[in-house]
Amino acid sequence: MIEAEKIDSIIDRYERSEECLLAILQDFQREFHYVPEEGMRRLSEVMGVPESKIYAMGTFYKALSLTPRGKHIIKVCTGTACHLKGAPQILETLERELGVKRNGTTADGEFTVECVNCVGACAMAPVTMVDEKYHGQTRPSKVMDIVKKQVEG
Amino acid sequence: MGIIASAEELERYREKLAAEAKPDLPTVLVCFGTGCQANGSRPVAEAFAGIIREQGLELDVNIGIKTTGCHGYCENGPLVALKPQGILYLKVKPEDVAEIVEETVKGGRVVERLAYQDKATSETIAQYSEIPFYKHQHRIALRNIGAIDPTDIDDYILAGGYAGLAKALGMEPDDIITEIERSGLRGRGGGGFPAGTKWRSCVAVKSDTRYVMCNGDEGDPGAFMDRSIMEGDPHSVIEGMIIGAFAVGAHQGYIYVRDEYPLAVKNLGSAIEAARSRGLLGDNILGSGFSFDIKISRGGGAFVCGESSALMRSVEGNVGEPRAKYIRSVERGLYDRPTVLNNVETWANVPEIMVKGADWYAALGTEKSKGTKVFSLVGKVNNTGLVEVPMGISIRELVEKIGGGIQGGKKFKAVQTGGPSGGCIPERLSDLPVDFDSLTEAGSMMGSGGIIVMDEETCMVDVARYFINFLVDESCGKCTPCRDGLPRMLDVLTAITEGRGREEDVALLEELCDLLTWGALCGLGTSAANPVLSTIRYFRDEYDAHIKEKRCPAGVCKALITYSIDAEACTGCMLCSKECPQGCITGERKKAHVIDAERCIRCGVCKDVCRYDAVRIS
Amino acid sequence: MEKISVIIDGKTLEAARDRCVLDVARENGIYIPSLCYNPEVKSSGGSCRVCLVEAHQRGRMRMVTACNYPIREGLEIKTDTPLVHRIRRGVLELLISRVPDSEAVRDMAAKEGLTETRFRKDEGENNRYKCIACALCTNVCAEVVGVHAIAMENRGADKQPATPYHKPSDVCIGCGACAYACPTGAITMKEKDGVRRIWQKDFKMVACSVCGTPYIPEAQVDWIVKKTGKDRSFFDKCPDHR
Repeated sequence: MIEAEKIDSIIDRYERSEECLLAILQDFQREFHYVPEEGMRRLSEVMGVPESKIYAMGTFYKALSLTPRGKHIIKVCTGTACHLKGAPQILETLERELGVKRNGTTADGEFTVECVNCVGACAMAPVTMVDEKYHGQTRPSKVMDIVKKQVEG
Repeated sequence: MGIIASAEELERYREKLAAEAKPDLPTVLVCFGTGCQANGSRPVAEAFAGIIREQGLELDVNIGIKTTGCHGYCENGPLVALKPQGILYLKVKPEDVAEIVEETVKGGRVVERLAYQDKATSETIAQYSEIPFYKHQHRIALRNIGAIDPTDIDDYILAGGYAGLAKALGMEPDDIITEIERSGLRGRGGGGFPAGTKWRSCVAVKSDTRYVMCNGDEGDPGAFMDRSIMEGDPHSVIEGMIIGAFAVGAHQGYIYVRDEYPLAVKNLGSAIEAARSRGLLGDNILGSGFSFDIKISRGGGAFVCGESSALMRSVEGNVGEPRAKYIRSVERGLYDRPTVLNNVETWANVPEIMVKGADWYAALGTEKSKGTKVFSLVGKVNNTGLVEVPMGISIRELVEKIGGGIQGGKKFKAVQTGGPSGGCIPERLSDLPVDFDSLTEAGSMMGSGGIIVMDEETCMVDVARYFINFLVDESCGKCTPCRDGLPRMLDVLTAITEGRGREEDVALLEELCDLLTWGALCGLGTSAANPVLSTIRYFRDEYDAHIKEKRCPAGVCKALITYSIDAEACTGCMLCSKECPQGCITGERKKAHVIDAERCIRCGVCKDVCRYDAVRIS
Repeated sequence: MEKISVIIDGKTLEAARDRCVLDVARENGIYIPSLCYNPEVKSSGGSCRVCLVEAHQRGRMRMVTACNYPIREGLEIKTDTPLVHRIRRGVLELLISRVPDSEAVRDMAAKEGLTETRFRKDEGENNRYKCIACALCTNVCAEVVGVHAIAMENRGADKQPATPYHKPSDVCIGCGACAYACPTGAITMKEKDGVRRIWQKDFKMVACSVCGTPYIPEAQVDWIVKKTGKDRSFFDKCPDHR
């Protein structure tokens, strides 16, 4: 249940300026694991900005998702250095073991596997992030252990 | 300490900090950059704090601890530096901390096993400044990173911070612009446009309001120098922007930071707060009468927002769609006002140029590319990380002298420079100097400084496909050549890597490249041809092998390779057959194993787990 | 508005500074095709790339979209060179690939002697239904009508106009400006029994008191009355019978 008060409290963190739209949408994303329709509508009301414009932003920026993401977000970095050092194999391993396609969420809502176009930790390629925690020099044979350990630990 | 009300007061404050500083105090500097934190530097810092408590040592009397920004040598982290000796320890674990305190902090001795080991000479080098990775660097933009605590403004001031600003505020704005022009500083984000010229063009446009902005979007995969600067020395960027704002007459600035850099956002935010509290941002800066403030704007996961007009639209609160740049941003930029947008590294250089002078800066580098550049040396090279060197260094020097050569003793094949807007330079041309112009002639560009080192196991057709796939994802969708042309280019490249390439495919790719270069709306599209054309130019034989012989010489393209086990090398340990997700490896204990090629999906797990290097790709 | 000289295809013309090349060319009988530009809609243009021409200025040549390139001192434009035709054909070939059913695109391509595409067509599941993602519809709705009912969603090849969540819009007034503005007729607007359907919403139409033809959605009348204070009775008769 997305509470109206929670939405309002997030909007109230910022000044009433269109410059803050993206930051607010990202705060929604962080809080609710996606950007809820009620959030966009309320934001449009409060800011006096057309809902269609906010909707366009929600679909344009990859950091935002209009559908709920999994409880745990696994991000495979697919930057060039990571690609050369085996990111495709890591991604395939995760897809295979979790039964999802990239950018998809497992049926039980536990995991979302995403690709990120470079997290800026290139010297430790290939990089995999599990719930915002960075893991460098990931190996396909070890990546599921990393995920399990962090999620259970 | 509250507001610093004048340049003189700033100097007195700096002198006070210097007097109170204890240069001989044994200090432990733990790297808190994103890379080292990922490798566990936080527990290391906590271990130091723990030891101090346990041993009843007094902080800042017996020992100092500092957390710093990214040293750039990330693969070897967590990195711990020690003052006053100037020692660097690599891959430090919490368990090592007690020994470091005992041996080095108290005893002044080196813990050899934690120091750098030269792979070629087997020499142990404990001195930070002697380690080859650092020895050949000339750190200007990175001057403070690793030495100061980025969340402590006093550290920055003690290191000479805001002296450039104090000097600039006593100058005529026009003279500041002249100084930047004379220094030869060119944009470090990839465009290479002379910064001084940009500032001057902005001033020439009549307007009541103008803006200065910092491009911290750093979208090129493989590049992380801006991250390191924003995390490790945010004040250098802030100071640079205040100087620029004063020079062009702007009172509001924005720093656009990509969403994927949360630590940079955090450290910039607290640096801005600290600067405000000292009167270095806000009204009447250092009593000069000049007012200026900075807002941080976060990106949302869009490479195209690194393009200047898309960035500005994003800051205004829109989707990040570029516009035709027939009228430049210095004339009509943010909110249609004259705007100076410069890259993080460009801004970070400005304070030093003010303090040390244009002549000092122009003495470094080459005739048309002055100063130093931060490169991110990544990929199949031994020493991966960030290095800052004078412009004009050759690719070979970067890869071999500083990078320490190719990992695993493999053959150096090529470097990719300039991100998705750049191209590949083959090893035989690696005596080319790295500067703004030389690489462009060779079909690439220096770009933001990402240097991706490739070896014999890199498939150049796959590299081209990788970049076009990236751009298909990141295209904003506004113009036909990029939106509809790139996916069809990807079709052709994918077909080639899957063994479905046709004779006419290379010509078709070249045609699409031509269309993009002439017809795309923005730099993302117009430079998309580079990765494809440069690989066709220098590695045509690989394209031909894929198309005519259905063969991938580098052993990468899954449809064209077979995994097999070398019976001689295999010890029958059964590890691969256990891990194989297809269950297609058979063999008895202690007997050579066999892969069923029909069912093999080329996932690479067997090769990954094999301890005897018995898995072959052909 | 100062007038300056510009040369187009060898002809010297006078035009106000900063007017776009396309408008000036058309006024002087020089043909440059375009799809995504409408002179009434300032935010339009620059998207389809069909109007790319050679711009020679300050000793350099680059290709520019005529619909938003400003006339400035020392400019020479060439619209009929081999390069222009090569690039135009390339753009049209991509457009045929994207919207193979669009008559407007096919007609324009035929003028360049282009009837087919060598590339993958967006068909079947990937049908774009004649939309070339030029954003004229959303620009018109935002800038001219002022209602902002639709916006361009997604990025890349999936970019397309849509109402939020593809649900019937709360603010759409059914005016159909988007459908009229669309260069390829990609927006479906149907009328039956005095009801107009567009963007999955039904709009009851006002019928002319003289001829009985339903001619304007009630919602549009409401909106005009709200914005301008015009008297509602003005809309009792259709434009032909006022």
